[in-house]
Amino acid sequence: MHFTSGNITTFLLSLSIMLLSAKLLGELFNKIGQPAVVGEIIAGIILGPTVFGWLMPQVFTSLFPTNNEVKIALDGIVNLAVILLLLVSGLEVDLSVIVRERKSAFLTGAMGIIIPFILGFAVSLSFPYLMGLKDESMKMIFAIFMGTALSISALPVIAKTLMDLNMFKTNIGHIIIAAAMFNDLIGWLIFSVILSLIGASNHGLSVWQTILLVLVFTIFILLIVRKLFNLALPWVQKKFSYPGGVLNFILILGFLGAAFTEYIGIHAIFGAFIVGIAVGDSVHIREQTKEVIQQFITNIFAPLFFVSIGLRINFITNFDPVMVIIILVLAFAGKIAGCTLGARLSSMKANESFAIGFGMNSRGTMEIILGLIALQYGLIHANVFVALVIMAIITSISSAPFMKYFLRAEESLSSLLKPDFILFTDIHDKKELIGLLVNAIGHHFKINKTEILDEVLKREDIIPTGIANYLAIPHARININKPVIAAAINKQGIDFEAEDKIPSQIIFLLLTPKDKNELQLKLLADIVKLFKDKDRAEKILSLRNKEQVIGQLKLSA
Amino acid sequence: MSAPFNKLGLAVTFSPTGRALLKEAHRLKKLFDSKLVLIHCGKKDSQTEEKLQNLIENSGIDDSSLEITWTEGEPAKSIIKSSVHSGVDLLIIGALEKEPMMKYYLGSVARRIMREAYTSVLILKSPSEEPAQFKKFCVSTDYSSESEKAIILSHNFAKLENADEFLIVRNYDVPALSSTIMNTGNSIETKVLIDQMQVEEEDKMNLFIKELGIHDIKITAKCVFGREGWEAGNFARSHDVDIFVVSAGSKKFNILDRVFPNELEYLFKVLPSNLLIIR
Repeated sequence: MHFTSGNITTFLLSLSIMLLSAKLLGELFNKIGQPAVVGEIIAGIILGPTVFGWLMPQVFTSLFPTNNEVKIALDGIVNLAVILLLLVSGLEVDLSVIVRERKSAFLTGAMGIIIPFILGFAVSLSFPYLMGLKDESMKMIFAIFMGTALSISALPVIAKTLMDLNMFKTNIGHIIIAAAMFNDLIGWLIFSVILSLIGASNHGLSVWQTILLVLVFTIFILLIVRKLFNLALPWVQKKFSYPGGVLNFILILGFLGAAFTEYIGIHAIFGAFIVGIAVGDSVHIREQTKEVIQQFITNIFAPLFFVSIGLRINFITNFDPVMVIIILVLAFAGKIAGCTLGARLSSMKANESFAIGFGMNSRGTMEIILGLIALQYGLIHANVFVALVIMAIITSISSAPFMKYFLRAEESLSSLLKPDFILFTDIHDKKELIGLLVNAIGHHFKINKTEILDEVLKREDIIPTGIANYLAIPHARININKPVIAAAINKQGIDFEAEDKIPSQIIFLLLTPKDKNELQLKLLADIVKLFKDKDRAEKILSLRNKEQVIGQLKLSA
Repeated sequence: MSAPFNKLGLAVTFSPTGRALLKEAHRLKKLFDSKLVLIHCGKKDSQTEEKLQNLIENSGIDDSSLEITWTEGEPAKSIIKSSVHSGVDLLIIGALEKEPMMKYYLGSVARRIMREAYTSVLILKSPSEEPAQFKKFCVSTDYSSESEKAIILSHNFAKLENADEFLIVRNYDVPALSSTIMNTGNSIETKVLIDQMQVEEEDKMNLFIKELGIHDIKITAKCVFGREGWEAGNFARSHDVDIFVVSAGSKKFNILDRVFPNELEYLFKVLPSNLLIIR
């Protein structure tokens, strides 16, 4: 068997078409605020036997042959893509964050696995044929697979949602990320055991021997190899070209780990994932290195993999609405209930817990890789795989909107300043003006006005709160649950000892909860930033309508 | 201005650095105008008492102002317990910059005290027979009330030392940041976000310093992006500070933190300089 010139041409043409269609659909989905991966999977469905192959079967077969050297080469590339995807997923698992947030991460992550797993396992064991069992002798493994398939979450969708909500750096953001990482790690540990049980080369090991092998490998890589890599990385960064040398080093380690796990009968992807974690944990790995690897894999290998899914299967003939509904119900119910419960048990608020539940519900990439391997090993029917892909797409699409619904974006000036809290005044005394602002707030909230006024004035006495460009922000931390902002546009200037010596005419009163120091700083910084431009401050001073003031502030923000 | 600490405790040993540590503790006692308790873990017998007396005499310290406490049992636990009983608010210990690997994982006396003490702890990594003033202070902050307290307290300390420079570092981290690239395929959005976060942190830091109202010593503030604890330690190391101050709150550390270091454990693992842990 050798690669002819014709084979090479077909192979390159296939790759180009796969990449082009993936990019076009991926970009389109990005434009409408959806993950690129969804577009890439749909590109594959259009390009595959479902649409293009059905419309032009001959052209399709000649471009994507099913039984010659080109197929072998394409399969090789796709396998490589999956290994690289798992390597990069491992890179993002930050053990220090999981350990730091261990209580919440463990409870949320563990419940997010246990409940969907039990649900998937029990239903699959009770109704194996309804769930699409292929081989009676594999009933137990099939049930474990379905349980696991419902348990894994996709980190990228969660991370992107937190980024959109500007919550990446917050405590809740860290907890969500840590729980998702923990979930990934445990999910893949379980799946690696299943893989070795259904794999062709498990060397006749029993379940317990396999579990032991998986654990020994994981511990060895995470304890020993992780340390060695951390020691070696500064040397590699110094002696080799950057980032080329480091990238090579990481890929070599990833491939070696993958080769080793494949050899011992656990699938190659598990080795890549665990090596990825060990590598990503190094304190010496630079953010730029991770970004370059992400770029390289996300834009080249991942699209090839996602398109290849649609090329394998006809999504219409294998579409089983009952199966899709069952899988969707099990997926949503198990994951949301499990993660929400876990988050509540770790003392998180109800809205935050639901946000975590829906966030972790996104399955994306990991789910599909899992399903594909099960399909390749003959563990599941094509209709189950199609249902799993649809579930992965729907959970990925629905995750962000639900998360956003339950997680209010961090409090900002524009979301806090209401028309009732804007006053147009003509006062010359600082204390009187602050008193008026406290009064305005006091009408709407159950607060002790005298106490608050004292707090604000006390704070004002220590360090005056004049900023510059007519702005002053008297403020205090008090016993309230949510921050409150009121503003006065004053006809005459009052001396708040601003840096530019200009008397203040735009006075914001900012009250924040006692324990939220960082939120106070953020809101103060937001207001200061708005008034860095003197023209804008003068524009606001000229306004005589509350809505206009809010509009102008929102516009500026 | 109130003294940052009123009663110092020194975990006294007969090691080669024992005398230097005693001299360092005595210098701080004078600086703070505070009391000093020597805590020795070991059996109280005439031989040990004599050794301790010799140590004090050789250090040239007037022992009438010292209080001596004897304790027995597991050293770290006993010293911590004694410090609480004696009403110590700053426990001073000597520690190696870095422990040998096995000792680090098993937990040496000094590292256990750093992790488990209920009071503030000052760890001197190379105590000197001729103690010098701390001229360059660095404090890590996360803007919390605990870290505010740590800054104010160490600023008072720095004023007493007549320090030249007072650095404040904010180390922030965004785990899984680069995975957002996987979602969109482009890194521009991620890069923009990193830049925005840096600007936002710097704005917050400027306001934070203004809020604290500290201005007697030249203050330099810096926000660094990267693994929490690790990058702050690197910052202190690269600025060659004399003392690095962190607040530990009520956080408890265990073996898991040693195996998978995070936050303060990075600083415990390899001391960036002398380390003051505020509790």
